This record gives sequence, C-alpha cells and structure tokens, in this order.
Amino acid sequence: MQRRVVVTGLGVISPVGNDAETFFSSLMAGRSGIRRMQVEFIDKVDAQLAGWVEDFDPLAHFVKNKAATMDRVTQFAVVASQQAIRDAGIDLETEDRERIGVHLGTGMGGAASIEEGYVRLYRDQASRLKPFTVLMAMNNAAGSQVALELGITGPGLTYCTACASSAVAIGEAVRQIRHGYTDVMLAGGSEALLTFGTIKAWEALRTLADEDKNDPSASCKPFSANRSGLVLGEGAGMVVLEDMDRAVARGAHIYAEIIGYGSSSDSTHITQPSVDGQARAITRALTEAGITPDQLDYINAHGTGTKLNDVTESAAIRQVCGTGVPVSSTKSMTGHLMGASGAVEFVACMMAIEQQSLPPTAHLAVPDPECDLDYIPNFGRRDVRVHTVMSNSFAFGGTSGVLIARKV
Amino acid sequence: MDTFETLRDIIAKKFDKAASEITLDATFESLEIDSLDTFDIIFEAEEKFDIKVPNDEVDIKTVQDVVNLIDRLRAEQAK
Repeated sequence: MQRRVVVTGLGVISPVGNDAETFFSSLMAGRSGIRRMQVEFIDKVDAQLAGWVEDFDPLAHFVKNKAATMDRVTQFAVVASQQAIRDAGIDLETEDRERIGVHLGTGMGGAASIEEGYVRLYRDQASRLKPFTVLMAMNNAAGSQVALELGITGPGLTYCTACASSAVAIGEAVRQIRHGYTDVMLAGGSEALLTFGTIKAWEALRTLADEDKNDPSASCKPFSANRSGLVLGEGAGMVVLEDMDRAVARGAHIYAEIIGYGSSSDSTHITQPSVDGQARAITRALTEAGITPDQLDYINAHGTGTKLNDVTESAAIRQVCGTGVPVSSTKSMTGHLMGASGAVEFVACMMAIEQQSLPPTAHLAVPDPECDLDYIPNFGRRDVRVHTVMSNSFAFGGTSGVLIARKV
Repeated sequence: MDTFETLRDIIAKKFDKAASEITLDATFESLEIDSLDTFDIIFEAEEKFDIKVPNDEVDIKTVQDVVNLIDRLRAEQAK
C-alpha cells in the first residue's frame, strides 16, 4: 500500500498578500497586485508593469549581514518556508530532520545578483565582484538556504523547468514521501526576476502585456479577447507535504491530499505551447489520481494572458475535461510569477478547498470565441462545493506540470 | 582614521556589531564571523585602502592580522 501525501502547511509571498489568508482574500475580491514599477530604469522599458511584492522588508526577517548575502529570490523562499512550517504546526526542534526534505523550483534563480555583478563589471568597469556573487546567483541558492535556515537535512533539490518549476517541485516531492524516502517535504518555488536585464529579455520575446491606460492594474486579461500578453511578477509559494498517517496521528490540519501529478514535454517548440503536450500532462495527472474529469470542481489555469497560451490551454482542457469544469487564471491579479507560479497557484487551490470558494479570472471583459470555458469571470464564487482541484503549469521549453488535490 | 578604526567601522557596519566588541586581539571566530564572511571584509578593505590582497594572504584569524596585512600591502603596493 502506497503512502498517501497531504498538505498541512501553506506559505506565500505575493503581489497580493504576504500570507495565505490575505493572498486568497485579495484573489476573491478581484484585487490586482499589478502596478507600475517604482524603479530607476522605468523609462527604458516598454513594459512598466509588474506583479510587484510590496511590504517585504528583509530586515524584518533576517539580520543585516544575512539579508545582504541572500538574493531577493532566496529571502522570499526562506520566509515563505518559515510561514508554511509554522502553519503546519511543526516544531522542527523535535523532528527527525533527516526525514524532511526541500524541493524548490525557480526559473531564473538569483537573477538580480548576477545582473548586479555584470553592472559592476561591464558598466562600472570594476575589476572585481563581491565575494557572495556566486552564492547569491546560483540557482540552488534559495533551496539550499531554506534547508540551512531551517536545519533540514533530507534531500534538497532544485527544479528548473521555467514556469513549471514549482509545480514539478511539488509533484516530485509527493513521490519522495509516497515512496518512503522522506516523511515531510517543504516544496514550492520562488522567483524575483524584476531586473532591468530580465525585463528587457522578456520584452524582446514580445509576450508582455500592453498597459491598460484606464487601469494599469487590469493590464493582464487572461481569456479575454482584448488580452495583450503576460505581466511579469515575483513572489514565492511553499507548502508542507506530509505522510497522511503521520499528519492524522499528530492531529494536523489537513488542507487536502495530493492525488495526482502529471508531467510531460511538448517536444514541439521552445516557446509555442502544444495542445497535445498539455493534454498529455493533464491526462497523466488524472490517471494517477484515478478520477474522471467530471470529478474536478476547479481548475487553476496556467492562464498567462498571451494570445497563444490561453487558446492552447483552453483547447487542452476542453479536449481532456470537456467544458463543464470552472477554470480561472489568478495571474490576472498576481501577474506571472514564473518559477513560483505553480506553487503560489497551488496555494490558491488549497485555500479554495479551505474556504469552499473559487477565485475569479479578473479583467475578463470581452469573450474570445476560441476560449469557450467557464472562466469564473470577474467575480469569485463563495459557498460552492470545492472538493477536487487541478492546477496547471506550462513552461517555455515545453515542460508541463499538473497537480490534482482532493479534500480529505 | 587609522587602519584599525576604518576596519572596525567596516566590520561593525556589516555585521551589526558594537565597535567596542571589535578589538585588535578579537578573533573572527569569537565575533561569529566565518571565513566566507572575512572574504567580504577583505573585499571592502581592498576597495577602501586601494590594495589587492593575494589569495595566499587571506588566512587570517584576528582583527590584528587584517590590520597588519592591510598596512603591509599598502606599503608594498604604494610603490
């Protein structure tokens, strides 16, 4: 008999709130965290909008020297992890920490640190870099610092599959527990790539949204015919996963059981998504979950707000699940948190079950005939049955990660 | 400011320490500053004193060691 894996703790740092409660109440209210950036390079970028994390003071969480040696991506990851552990009611002092692991997903790791180094070298013509440059920029810094700060000594792995990174990190963490390698996992992702260079690189891909002149916070319009692209965002989501028997034995609050995970590669194009690839990941997750699509009560879409993603994803969902399941894109309010998006959206799914409420797709004003599902437009739904949920993450590179969870 | 005072300020500021804690005979171990962090101190000292510290010179234990190192390299490299 395979071990069952449940979610017992949530942590989130996001453009719409820095804890799970605030985050979800913002989503339910349709409150967007997308705003014009307050940065010195603002006049040099076309896309002046971002899902920017406000009210995050590193010095409220770390002593000065520690904060100075952690990239923002790491700071987010560590704080979200601490939240999740606290929420799970786990006292790490009394745990066998060899039986706890960390899986962290990130797309671009310490993007700001590497960029700062280049600025020093190439622009300022400095002859040397800060000693912590490598240790702040490397992709596994965030996951490693989480393990270090919390004293966790089980498997520590970093997943780097672009926008599917944290969905994959969670899915693979389930397997660590299911197959008996660990009893508890901290899993999720973090991203902090709102730097001049990164934004310019995204700009060049012509996938970023135009600013809505009437309301900049409404610039990301997934599934709406007038959508113009994605809005970059930053943040972190971490969840505590636990062997169900253990969680029940200690009387932990259980948000849901993760019953299915599917991953696939499109193997068609480095950026253009494939209906078949996405459908394959969804089908794999449903098969592992042992459920039929009609049992799903909610799908948190990848829903980036690009022309291509939203049509492709709608087609993939329609192909596997039909048109009866409510779907929403919370990216309409958070922006695209890239490597962190899968985990942050999974937290939204957990809160949907917790509060029996479905968050909306905000700013969906103009129906698109090619997007013909129930997208929960503009208004969240309260007091609905939310038992089984699915979260989609589809990445550049063609990696898909799909998670299915069910109320216990 | 002499070398020690400048160095003391760098360390105090970077590690949020009281200046009184940072004496010449204090070891970095007693100040809870590990070897990686001392690289950071040396990095700032290089900038401040306009010196270059060779890799084989970074084995330091006390604040005095760094003061001596800085003073010696300043004299050598000023030539």
